[in-house]
This record gives sequence, structure tokens and C-alpha cells, in this order.
Amino acid sequence: MKKIGLFLGCNIPFNRPDVEYSIRYLLNELGVEIVELEGATCCPAFGSMPSLDVVGWATASAWNLTIAEEKGVDIITGCGSCYGSLNEAKYHMDKHPEIKEQVNKILSTVGKEYKGTSKVWNVINYLYEEIGLDNLKAKIKYNLNGLKCAVQTGCHNLWPSKAYPTNEDNTFNPTRMREICEALGGVAPHYSTITDCCGMGALRSQASAKSLALFKKKLDVIKEEIDPDVCITGCNSCLMQFDAGQALLIEQKKLNYKIPALHIAQLVAIALGADVEKATALATIPLNGVITKIKGGN
Amino acid sequence: MEEVTVNVIDLNQCDEDFIKQLIELGAEELKECIQCGKCASTCPMALAGLEFFIKRIIHAATLGLRDILIEDPSVWACQSCNRCVEICPMDVKPYEIIQAVRRAAVRVEACPASTYEGLRNLYRFGHAVFPKGFEERRKKAGLPEKPPTALSFDELRKKYQEVLKQTILEEIAPFPLD
Repeated sequence: MKKIGLFLGCNIPFNRPDVEYSIRYLLNELGVEIVELEGATCCPAFGSMPSLDVVGWATASAWNLTIAEEKGVDIITGCGSCYGSLNEAKYHMDKHPEIKEQVNKILSTVGKEYKGTSKVWNVINYLYEEIGLDNLKAKIKYNLNGLKCAVQTGCHNLWPSKAYPTNEDNTFNPTRMREICEALGGVAPHYSTITDCCGMGALRSQASAKSLALFKKKLDVIKEEIDPDVCITGCNSCLMQFDAGQALLIEQKKLNYKIPALHIAQLVAIALGADVEKATALATIPLNGVITKIKGGN
Repeated sequence: MEEVTVNVIDLNQCDEDFIKQLIELGAEELKECIQCGKCASTCPMALAGLEFFIKRIIHAATLGLRDILIEDPSVWACQSCNRCVEICPMDVKPYEIIQAVRRAAVRVEACPASTYEGLRNLYRFGHAVFPKGFEERRKKAGLPEKPPTALSFDELRKKYQEVLKQTILEEIAPFPLD
């Protein structure tokens, strides 16, 4: 039986625990044993330790990586920032022995050692490579019935590509999420701003209006070019922008349409038969139409 | 955000020591920049309309324009998306320069209040992002009130704090690490 360490981070367990529920559900349904990473912390977020120095950043990340190493498992995360921060810290330590040495000197005082033996996966690549599209297809209970999906992979799931153990063939033309949606019975056309940033993150914290305006530009292109039933994100922060951020634009009367949004883990969990109430518990934009379409043909 | 004008550069403001500090803080390839502007073509900050975006930040860094870099908050709006790192033809790693500027800025306490808030939450709870009301949200998703992170394990959280105390946080945090 496959095993994987579930790295939660902050935004998923505290802001969008319905994504946590969905990741747990889909791993269970796909026969992957979830290993809890007890005592794990923030990845750490880019605005925290990484903005102080490299060794502090790597030490905070290594705390998390060693929890998985001690249990002999790889890590999976549904958050782009966690995927980026953990992998980049790992890259710094694996490339620069002097950084790793300083980190281990600190960790040794609490009886820990970073070895570099656990890989860090995101949900997209784990489904694509470790589960496989044919296997996924064979296990779904609800076909998506042609549900039209606009996919948003998310910056940190793609770049910096050198820090990642696996990636898209062309990070500026990502196809893995489109292929996953199509394997579930949906359609997921390309659109011209597919790799554009959603604006969530530091930009949203420091320049909220500009962040939302950037997001609206992207959303307008999605609406005009493919007019989807739903937006599917590979990153939890993107989900928060596509859902709550979009609702904010509507409230501010800056947007006169709405497109519901799901994390890829939520979409897969629903297709595998998850409790929809729990899997979408924190969504702001109603998903009724999406769920009806998924469940309609079965 | 305030408009920043860097069109006229007073070369008397160039600070060689600041350039050295940035290089020590991670901007190792700073001097390789040829100002081609590829980073700006893909930077969300630039596309969102921030005046002082990646290419201009790197330019100011190569000249050691310390005051502009420390005082302007734009570096804190960087998404850490790494598009610039991916496409830079000189492998300058522009994002690492943004981080170096942030690192220089926190050393003189020139960062947004949210930075300290995140660091305080990271130290106290093990989570930089720690929004109120999560217990209720977790219940809605059918999950236990607390996740199985450091939040649920006092001993492990204390150990984590012991680890953080041995990092740069000990010098920089404007709050007691106790």
C-alpha cells in the first residue's frame, strides 16, 4: 500500500479545511495511506523566515521535512506556497552543503537531522504520476459529464522549475490539470492567460485593489474565451482568490458575472463520491450548478 | 501605493556597501543584470501596475540606491512566483534580489506590520497564517477543531521554538522569544 505524509500548512487547515477534507478523502479512496506529520508547522511562508535569511528559512522548512523523513514517507501538499517554500528550501540545502550543515547544527540540539530523503509532491503531480490517469478514471463514481473547466495551475506549482523534482514538459504551457479534468469526463480548453498570476499572496496583502484588478483581467479573459462552468485551481491560495476574491469583486460591483471555483482536490474528491457538503463547506460562490451537472448523468 | 520616481538617478546616492550587503544576503548574481527587462514582461507586480516593479528594483539594487529600496514597500508585494527567475537570460535570479532587499530592510525594521505579525504567529503557534474562527470552519468540513500540526502538540511546539531561537529570528524579532 502506498503511503504519503500529509503536509497541511496554514491556509488549508485554517481557511479552507474543505480542501483538507477533500485531500484526505481522495487519498483514502485511491488506496493511499495518510501518514500524519504530527508537529508540522508553517512551510514557512515567503513573507516570514525566507525574508530574514536563507539558513533561518531552510531550518524552519527542514523541521517539517525531517518529520516526514523520520516516518519514511514523501510529502503531499495542496498549497502552492508550501510546495514552493519546502522544495526551494530543500534545493538550497541539497545544492549547498554549508547551508545544510548550519541547519543540521541547529536541528541537532533537538535531536533532529535533515537528510534530504523525502520528496515534496503537489496534488497535481501526485495524481498525474503516482496515481495515473487510467487508474483515476477507473475509480471515479461520478463522471463530470462534460463539465467545462478553466484550469489554474498556480505559480508555485510551476516555478522555479529547477527546484522541483517533477514538472510539466513546458511550464509556460501546463497541461497536467487539463488532462486530469478530461480523465474525469470534463473538458478543459486552453485559454490565452492560462499561466497568468491570480494576484493572491503578498500582492493581495500589500496592494489589494491592484491584486483584484489583476485577477479580474484574468477572469475576463477566461469568461470571454471559454466561458467555463467552473474554475479549477491547483493551489489553495489561487482557490481563495478565485472564490472569496471573486465574491469581493462582485460585492464591490466590479464584476457582473460569477464562475464558481474548486481546488483540483475537491473536484477529484467529488468525482470519487465525497460528501459534497463537507468537500465544498467553505465555498463562497455557490456550486449548485456544478454539482448538479456532475451528479446529473449518473 | 505611492508613486515612486526613479527616472532621475542621483549617483551620489549610490552606496557600494549596500551592494555588498545585498550580495551577502543572497543577491549573488546581482552584477550580471543587463537590464533587458524580460523579468518585467512577466512580473505580476508590473502587470498589476506597481510603479516600482522588478526591473526597476534590480536596477536600483545594482546602483546601491539604499534609501529608495528600503523605503519603498514594493518588494513586500512580490508574489515570490519566480517567473523572473525562470526566464532571466543572465540567471540573475531577480527574486533572490527581492529577498535580499527584504532581508536588508528587516535589519533596519523597515517592513510592513504584517511581516512581524506573521513572524509572531509562526513563533507562538507554529503558523505564520493563523486566522480567527478556524475551529468553526473545520467543523463545517467535518474535521477536528485543531489540525494535527504543532498547534496540537505543546511539547513539539516548544521544541520548534527552541529551533527558531537559534536562527536569525532571535536577533530580528521585535517581540520576546519566550
